Amino acid sequence: MVAKSAYALCAIVLLAGCKAQEPANQANTVIPSAETHNTANNAPPTHEQALAMMKQRHDDMEAFGDETKKIGNALKSSSPDIAAIQQSAAKIAGLAPKIQPLFPAGTGPDVGKTRAKPEIWQKPEDFALKAHDFGQAADQFNVAAKTGDLSQINASFAALGKSCKACHDLYRAPKKD
Amino acid sequence: MKQRVWDLPTRLFHWALVVLIGLAWWTAETGRNSLHLWLGYGVLFLLLFRILWGFLGSSTSRFSAFVRGPRAVAEYIRNRFRWPLAGHAPLGALSVIALLALLLVEVGTGLFAADEDGFFSGPLAYLVSIGASDRVTGWHEELFDWLLILIGLHVAAILLYRLALGRNLVGPMITGKADLPRGMEPMRPATPIVAIFCSLVALAGTAWIILGAPPLGS
Repeated sequence: MVAKSAYALCAIVLLAGCKAQEPANQANTVIPSAETHNTANNAPPTHEQALAMMKQRHDDMEAFGDETKKIGNALKSSSPDIAAIQQSAAKIAGLAPKIQPLFPAGTGPDVGKTRAKPEIWQKPEDFALKAHDFGQAADQFNVAAKTGDLSQINASFAALGKSCKACHDLYRAPKKD
Repeated sequence: MKQRVWDLPTRLFHWALVVLIGLAWWTAETGRNSLHLWLGYGVLFLLLFRILWGFLGSSTSRFSAFVRGPRAVAEYIRNRFRWPLAGHAPLGALSVIALLALLLVEVGTGLFAADEDGFFSGPLAYLVSIGASDRVTGWHEELFDWLLILIGLHVAAILLYRLALGRNLVGPMITGKADLPRGMEPMRPATPIVAIFCSLVALAGTAWIILGAPPLGS
């Protein structure tokens, strides 16, 4: 309760600050307004935005895991349910490109509970590359699933697993509970 | 004079278990999932063998020779850790039973477990729901800590026997032989044919589970 009131107070003070600066910003077009600064690409997210993104990416990762487990179980059956695999493959391919944008600077373990390692923001190019590879593997798996050919599905599912692991090995901290 | 206490299958079982548990721990901590699965199958084989050997094996390895009630444990302690029979004394037998039981649960949960990325799973995980598999995976991880505690107790007890009672328990588990007090009956060995039979049955059981326990899955 106390914390909430404190946040609200801070917000009011901050808003008041913005209001006070507005005329000055309008007068001088070189200095970006607080609003445009916040929406600029490399601006750090607010604390609340950061936590929301961290929760979103956690849920997305859990969703990937659920789908890969469904696929893995289906593939172990003697007569795999191809339609179910296709459904899961489409879900993964649809969700894959949304993952990397959920890792902006300021969403690391110093901000909230996450297994994302600080290395993500120390090697952003490599992280982006691995996210890109994952997206491609997800697309290829989706294509393979649509063919319905089990050997293609198995091969591209293994490749998809490798792309997950490539990133997780470097940028995901071990589980702690 | 040194006399036989532990047969070769029991000793092989023991030391293979030590190696496999160590490696399984290492592979779990370092994410070597496919190797971890095979180490688990190895432990499964060993446990199945040991259970069969506990009914058909040499005298000191049989459950009937060392599974005893609390009264025997109390008597053993009152007698200052002396026991008139070769093989597991009542207190050590408790440790053996607890370790075997916990290992069985550990391997059993592993069969239904899946890694969080969903690319490696125990051979029976496909028979249960993903939620159930996730829960069992949690148990598989937590139980290992208890296993480590039991192993720690086991090793500490062996050290205590050495330091406080001057008795070497490790040597006989390596050589199979120990100095027995006069009049104590040594191990009555089972024939190698029985060991081969137990191995083959354990191997068949392990293979059946690796294949996903057909025809349980559709």
